[in-house]
Amino acid sequence: MRYVRITLRTIVIVFFLALFHYVLPQHDIARVTQTEVIRMDFTSLNRIFYAQSDSGTAELATRDIRLIQTVRRKSFLLGFIRREAEGVMVYRNEDTGWIWPPYFKFDSSDLQAAAAANISTPDQEQWVSITHYGWRNRFFTIYPNAIAIRPIEGPDARIIPWFNIFFFIFLVVAGLFVRAMWRQFRERTIDPALADAGEAWDRVEDRASNTKGRVGRWLDSWRSKPRR
Amino acid sequence: MALIRLVIFGFLALSVVYLAIWFYSRSVRREKLEEEWDADHPDGDATERRDFVEQGMVEYQDSFRPKLILLVYVIPAVLVIAALIATNWN
Repeated sequence: MRYVRITLRTIVIVFFLALFHYVLPQHDIARVTQTEVIRMDFTSLNRIFYAQSDSGTAELATRDIRLIQTVRRKSFLLGFIRREAEGVMVYRNEDTGWIWPPYFKFDSSDLQAAAAANISTPDQEQWVSITHYGWRNRFFTIYPNAIAIRPIEGPDARIIPWFNIFFFIFLVVAGLFVRAMWRQFRERTIDPALADAGEAWDRVEDRASNTKGRVGRWLDSWRSKPRR
Repeated sequence: MALIRLVIFGFLALSVVYLAIWFYSRSVRREKLEEEWDADHPDGDATERRDFVEQGMVEYQDSFRPKLILLVYVIPAVLVIAALIATNWN
């Protein structure tokens, strides 16, 4: 039973960590090298890792996807530890619209223009901070979705993840509030109901044992009297 | 269509939160009233105690505080508009 509980708990925790890692915004420091559009034929494997066609257009089985090709600075620990090493990264650029995840992004065309306006060349390097969510996976052919591109002065610019800070503070506060609500509910609603039920049960038991006593006494009256 | 779906499901989800906070807030208020009565009248009459609590609950229901729970609907709507502007502002 203990192992079942540990396993279930681990699965839930891993699921939420993965969900947060996928959905919450992260900032990459990168140089845009090119933008391009490819046609995408989704499969059931990778379809859920894409959003839908641009807001206001029809959803077909196949469509074009905007990509932003970059060279980005690698990092450890979700970007908290910077490294000198560089690697290529490709972002997709899709509207999330009114649908999950709730970025309410409708401006993917403008973002593509912003990416093109900030293209970096070897003799004139232009560093940008790319806000994105999602994962890059070569086996499923999925890309993180770029949300915003902001020019920065250099690769050492300081970026503070304000949204994530407030999100996790909110999560802790909400968790404490739910716990307080649950405790109040248990103390004021469940426990009195259980106490009532317990008292009722005690009464039933008392009566049952009394009855048994009476029956027992009646049965005893039929037994032979102890001999004198 | 996606907007309508968001509004409908968002409204349903927030209504669950609203009802939960509504019950919680009433429960906390009732407990406070009971404790207040018990502190003032250690050997008070049970009927008077009930009347005092019910009177306090009616006053609470007519006051401004329970209407603050409607912020459950307002704040997410404001946040959605803020996100909309922050993401799409050029």
